[in-house]
Amino acid sequence: MPAARSPSARAHRPPGPTDVAVVDLGVCDRCGLCLPLCPPEAIHLLGPDLLVDRDTCTGCWKCIAPCPVGALSMIALVPGAAGAAA
Amino acid sequence: MRDVDVLVVGAGPAGGVAAAEAKRAAKNLDVLVIERDRAVGAPVRCAEGVGDAGLREFAAPEGADWWSRKITKVIFWAPDDTEVKVAERDVGWVLDRTRFDAHLAGEAVREGAELRVGTEATGMTRGSDGRWAVRLRSAKGEETVRARVVIGADGVETMVGRWAGLDTRVPARDMESCAQYVVSGIDCDPDAIYLQFGDGIAPGGYAWVFPKGVGVANVGLGMVGLKSDGRNARAYLDAWVDRRYPRGARTGYTVGGVIVHTTIRKTYTDGVLIAGDAAHMINPLSGGGIVNAMKAGRLAGQTAATAVCAGDTGERRLSAYHDAWMNLLGDDHLKYYKIKQALEDLDDGFFNALARTVNKIPEEKRSLGRIFVHALVKHPQLIPVAARFFV
Repeated sequence: MPAARSPSARAHRPPGPTDVAVVDLGVCDRCGLCLPLCPPEAIHLLGPDLLVDRDTCTGCWKCIAPCPVGALSMIALVPGAAGAAA
Repeated sequence: MRDVDVLVVGAGPAGGVAAAEAKRAAKNLDVLVIERDRAVGAPVRCAEGVGDAGLREFAAPEGADWWSRKITKVIFWAPDDTEVKVAERDVGWVLDRTRFDAHLAGEAVREGAELRVGTEATGMTRGSDGRWAVRLRSAKGEETVRARVVIGADGVETMVGRWAGLDTRVPARDMESCAQYVVSGIDCDPDAIYLQFGDGIAPGGYAWVFPKGVGVANVGLGMVGLKSDGRNARAYLDAWVDRRYPRGARTGYTVGGVIVHTTIRKTYTDGVLIAGDAAHMINPLSGGGIVNAMKAGRLAGQTAATAVCAGDTGERRLSAYHDAWMNLLGDDHLKYYKIKQALEDLDDGFFNALARTVNKIPEEKRSLGRIFVHALVKHPQLIPVAARFFV
């Protein structure tokens, strides 16, 4: 799936490759610890899913080390590249 | 669309008490409590320890089925395993949160509140009449409930605060990443809680053993991710349990976050109050939050009820809740936070030396106050800590 990008996301993100947080739902315990750590509030807990809004994530890494089970990691997202953050 | 006077989001200690208190303050109010999980109190994301005096403001433990152990001793382990016993009498209790939270929610229902489990709030918007339209989702489908006051008691991940435009974010240095096992078949004093500090054990936090019964305990730790050597909280815990209780059976585990910050700058806005962990109302030194949540829930329930009865749920009126909380405990947390910051500068060597100093005080005279005075004399590094506290 192509990485979906909204015009507003391009406005707050520098051009070129950017890190974005991804969650391994097989490891995540849905404890919610990462939600208040996210400066742009890009992480959401909805039903059984923890979602990272990649248009809002700024790749700041603040959620990575605190995850008690290591479910979050950063990957490089190349704008427009198919499957870059799948 | 259903209309209620007060909607409480989250049926933990803050939400349960808030709903009961709103009904006690005004019997005729329509109060609805929703809980995302299918059972109140589960899953447990908590070490379950609570102080005696604080608990008794809300529930009498005698004969109750919602606690596991009465605690009469506190034992500290220095980073080098030097043991320090502190003589106290009625220290507190290790709760059974699955039953305790259900007890509090049951009290709210007995007062006339309605409780719905398995029901999640998914968003809310404020109408032109000042009421909040809150979208709910459950196995039965989606619906919208309109409320004059929404009490956000939705824990560390609070979405209510976010939807209401309040800043509930927390700096990474003030987030304790916690992991805990229930371990059985272990040798520990079932009347004592154990706490161990140490950079290699739980950097920026501590590890604990809170007994649930004879030979069974919540064994966990909280640490600051930014101070980690690259391992996550569960990996630190595995190492600690391997060393302390290599033959113990790990029969359950949980993880979660404890915010060791200070109360959010603004806990209210038009038609909204935030209470408990959601508002960072946790003792930043101990990480304890159950009693704080109940105290905040009581204030929030009472404030919401009187505001609805007065026909004014605007933020100016609701700000009384914030002021009352800050007077009760919020201002103390600002002081504790300063101590926490000062303690961060002290290393394992200091705590090992402090433990040996304290052990020279006769055990029966080892009150926390006396320990502090002795520590100041023997360890001048603590003077800046004291200064930051009292200034």
